[in-house]
Amino acid sequence: MQMQLPVLKRTAKVVHGKNDKLAIQYMGQEVTLEGAAAKLFDKMLPYLDGNTGIGGIAERISESPKRLQSLTQQLGQTGVLAFKDSDSGERITGEQFYEIHRTYVNSWLQPIYDHPFWEKVVTGKATRGQVLGFAFEKYHYIEGAFEHMAIAAANATPEMMPHLARHFIEEYNHGDIYRKGLQSLFPNDLILRAQPLPSTRALVNFLSESAARNSFGYYAGNELLQMTENTGEEKDNDSINDFYDAMRKHYPYTDKVIDAFIAHTNADQKLGHENVFLEMCQSIPPLTRAEVDDALNIVRSMAEHLYLFMDGIDTFYARFPTIPRAPCDLLSE
Amino acid sequence: MATTLGQEFGVRRVYDATPKKGVGVSLRLSDREVELGPREFDLYEKVAERVPGIRSQKEVAAELGMDEARLGRLLAALQSAGLVYRADAVPATLSGVELHTLFNKVLPSWLDEAFSHPFWERMTSGRGSRRMYSGWLIELYHYTRNANRHMPLSCAHAHEKAIKNMRAKHYAEEWNHYHYFLKALKALGFSEDSVTKSVPLPMSLALSNFMRQAARDDILAYSICSAVLEGTTVDRGAYNPYYETCAKLYDLPPESIAPIYAHLDLDVQYQHSDLFLDILSKVDSIPAARAGRILDYGHQLIEHIWLWTDSIEKYYDAESNPMPRPAFSKLLD
Repeated sequence: MQMQLPVLKRTAKVVHGKNDKLAIQYMGQEVTLEGAAAKLFDKMLPYLDGNTGIGGIAERISESPKRLQSLTQQLGQTGVLAFKDSDSGERITGEQFYEIHRTYVNSWLQPIYDHPFWEKVVTGKATRGQVLGFAFEKYHYIEGAFEHMAIAAANATPEMMPHLARHFIEEYNHGDIYRKGLQSLFPNDLILRAQPLPSTRALVNFLSESAARNSFGYYAGNELLQMTENTGEEKDNDSINDFYDAMRKHYPYTDKVIDAFIAHTNADQKLGHENVFLEMCQSIPPLTRAEVDDALNIVRSMAEHLYLFMDGIDTFYARFPTIPRAPCDLLSE
Repeated sequence: MATTLGQEFGVRRVYDATPKKGVGVSLRLSDREVELGPREFDLYEKVAERVPGIRSQKEVAAELGMDEARLGRLLAALQSAGLVYRADAVPATLSGVELHTLFNKVLPSWLDEAFSHPFWERMTSGRGSRRMYSGWLIELYHYTRNANRHMPLSCAHAHEKAIKNMRAKHYAEEWNHYHYFLKALKALGFSEDSVTKSVPLPMSLALSNFMRQAARDDILAYSICSAVLEGTTVDRGAYNPYYETCAKLYDLPPESIAPIYAHLDLDVQYQHSDLFLDILSKVDSIPAARAGRILDYGHQLIEHIWLWTDSIEKYYDAESNPMPRPAFSKLLD
């Protein structure tokens, strides 16, 4: 395996500190360099693009290739640096993919947890349109299982079929749980006809499109969504309960809607889906680098769509507060 | 069980509400302006919020502290002002040409809504940036290239020969128009490789996924979306000042604008804005439910454009976001 073309990870951030110290921040970790190592890294930095060999960099910055080799290899071990020529064509197992997936997803979910919408609800600053909009969009998203989970089952690879069939059969009616909550405020017929926001439609359609073309990638993306829903861990449960308590306090009319949210979380947890993705990963043949990239592209895009889903609720209902979003008829426009 | 207010009445879409100094609010509908005093506006808002609820007319009257007869008079007044309509007044069917007439009447209001995002004012007042202009162009490139994901699909799902032919001809005339945007982006300094290998924002992808959904669902729903999109490019008087102002404000080379004008001129030359009428002329009768669904697709596309603009502004406004957006690579990310 060659290790001659070092490249700093594109999402890594270099932060210069005092006294010749610098930190490389990447996926929630921080690698600190100081003194001579920090100075050397700083000189190398403009050439860490994966197109310049270690010999070439050494020549340009008038340093010894040996020193460069040593530093790049150490940084390579931390993960902040890669080598463009390191592909040995080796495939990775599903279980290895599972671990890689976990690492990236934890980082990609952070902007969703940091979205200002949560704080607005907890502090009572969200509007009626935003709060009821949140309930409706959650309903539309869960009801979207009819589309993407069915498409996934119908287009599944042989290894994925049993998992995706079971997934659809166990979850297709979860939208009804949310609908029950909304029925405390709106007529059933109107809930069924109401239109999701474009951002919610975007999430459901992206799931459906992924489901049709890449069974494993679809579920890897779906797993990211599941990781926000039903962790069952105490600290996560506490923060979810705090959110619901604040919502009940500031928006008492959502009481029954919140009961439905909780009923859905309980229903999800009872299904014991937390190990399903690991089981899937264990059942698939090893993946090529291109297959890993394709699946992780879907996962990253899913995180972006989930962020869009949150942002759509926050932004769109602030500007267009009409709720529910009744469909057009021949006189409405 | 008593009928709900929503089973008896519908609320017309209000495209804009402008407060009038001390004298109430002016509501803009697609065909009129309605001025309401502060008290009338307050009552209108309360009624409009309750029409989609689960209460009967009698219960709503009690909630608003009035008797049923008074609520009836209020609803009649709102109806004669054009703000609400009786649900039983919706015609059972209409012809394709009649639907086109209705579409033509509401299209200007829809387009106003689509382009009501503050991004446009920001760009033309000098508070935008060359980066934001370029980002918008990158997303236009993706949106135009992604026509290849939905236009041929609409041909595949059209059942009538005449309509299939019209959709196919439209595709044949449009499929490679993304080259115009690539040319403009190259003039702005982007390499061909960086643009063609980039990935669109989720909302840009959502636009083409929504068009794919429409194509599978109903060829007339697809065609109204296509007509809305064509409607955004027919008026040179509307788009020229935008480009000219941006060119001046953000020092854009003429070579980056010329391909866009060439593209818009070609669209006008093809007379694609007449296509929807040509298609609808082939349809004798459309039941109200289908016609409502078709209109709804058109209006949802308007909302997609608004949210697309919002995404573009938010993403490209942040200097640290990569531009163009590279696809994920496990090696590089």
